[in-house]
This record gives sequence, C-alpha cells and structure tokens, in this order.
Amino acid sequence: MRRFTLEDLARYNGKGGMPAYIAYKGQVYDVSSSFLWQNGRHQVLHEAGTDLTAALDQAPHGEDLLKGFPVVGVLIR
Amino acid sequence: MAKVTREVVERAGVDVDQLLELLVKNAAAELTTYYYYTILRVNLIGLEGEGIKEIAEAARIEDRNHFEALVPRIYELGGSLPGDMKAFHDMSACPPASLPEDPTDVKVLLKVLVEAERCAVRGYTQICNMTFGKDHRTYDLALAILHEEIQHESWFSEFLGEGPSGHFLRRGETSPFVRKFLE
Repeated sequence: MRRFTLEDLARYNGKGGMPAYIAYKGQVYDVSSSFLWQNGRHQVLHEAGTDLTAALDQAPHGEDLLKGFPVVGVLIR
Repeated sequence: MAKVTREVVERAGVDVDQLLELLVKNAAAELTTYYYYTILRVNLIGLEGEGIKEIAEAARIEDRNHFEALVPRIYELGGSLPGDMKAFHDMSACPPASLPEDPTDVKVLLKVLVEAERCAVRGYTQICNMTFGKDHRTYDLALAILHEEIQHESWFSEFLGEGPSGHFLRRGETSPFVRKFLE
C-alpha cells in the first residue's frame, strides 16, 4: 500500500489532469470517478488533496459514502 | 441584487459567494432532476411501474418548483444563473438521475430515484446548517425544500421495502412547504 505524506497527497488535487485523492482516518481514497468531485472540489466547501477526517464529522453524510471508492494508500504523519 | 439583503447576511458571518455557489448548484440539481425524472416517469410502466408513477410525478413537479423557488434568492443575493445550459447541468450538486440500462427493472429505477432524493436531502441540510440563525430567508427556503425532499425520499424508500415511510400521498396541490415561495 502506497504511503502518502500530506505534501504527497496535496499533489492529487483533481486539477490539471491529476486524480482526486482524499484522506479519511488514515486511508487515502481515489474519488476521481465521482460526479461530486469534479475538478477536485466537492459541494463548494471541500478540496481534493487534503485530509478530510475532521470535515466529514460536519458533513451531512457519513463515511459509508466513501465505501465505493478505491483505497490507494495510507496517510502518514 | 438586494444590497442590504446581501450585506446583512455577510455581516452575520456567511460567506455569501460560497452560499451562492451552493444555491446555484442545487438549482441545477433541481432542474436537471426535473428533466431526468420526466424520462424515468415515462418508463414507469407495467404492473409494478404504474404504482410508482404517481409519486414520481409529484416529486418531478416539486423539484421543478424548488428550482423556481431558488432562483429569486440567488439573484437577491447578487448571484446569477449561468448562460450556458450545459455548464449548468454539469455543475449540478447531484449526479444525473439517468435512466438505468434496463428500464424495465423497477427496483433499479427506484434506487435511482431514492439516491437522487438522498443527495438533495444532504444538500439542503448543508445549506440549512450554513444559514441557521444567520440568513433567515435562505434558511426558511432551504428548510421548506428539505421538508419536501425528505418526503420524496421516504416515498421511494418505502417502495424499496426499507420500511414504512409514515407519510401519505399528496392530497391536493403539490409543494405544501415550498408553495409560499412560488410567486
């Protein structure tokens, strides 16, 4: 499993042809295929290439919506 | 734009540009859903499909009403709708509720409908959370729409066998909550 630092993760921001990756609870998900992550943005407020663990607590949905997306690595601190 | 309207919302701590983007994306979701639901409704046929047609039609009309109700608020706050219809479609807050490959599979069709409603419920919950106690008019509008989206979700969910919805079909006119915003 690939290991990502926050700096590595930031490159995968869904812009300029890069895939859109997000981190949640230490796992890195590829959300590029999602209509709701076009251009690396999600519902105006969230950006790909970031750790969204804290943000998901405030979101109007749970982590179950991440289940369909492939895990591409783990986030290391 | 209603200058003071925008100013008081900004002063209350709302990022109005962010809010406007969300309102436009949700308006796009409503109008595109109205379009896609038209196709879904047409394909709700046969012994199973006909039973669902009535609620699909109510949801379809109410989603169009939601679009109509959102537009004035967008312009009051200084926003606008994009001139390009394709761009508007593509910026939708929810994925297209496309007709499934096998349109005779009513259960799959119901899943498309319920997922569209669930996306809407999440979207208006987010707008309510952003505006609660700060932007009373947008909050009131988003809450009215949320009431109807929750009912739509429950209707479709019930048909999927997820449990009783606790709701009844519309009696009388559509949009009991949003009607006051339709001028």
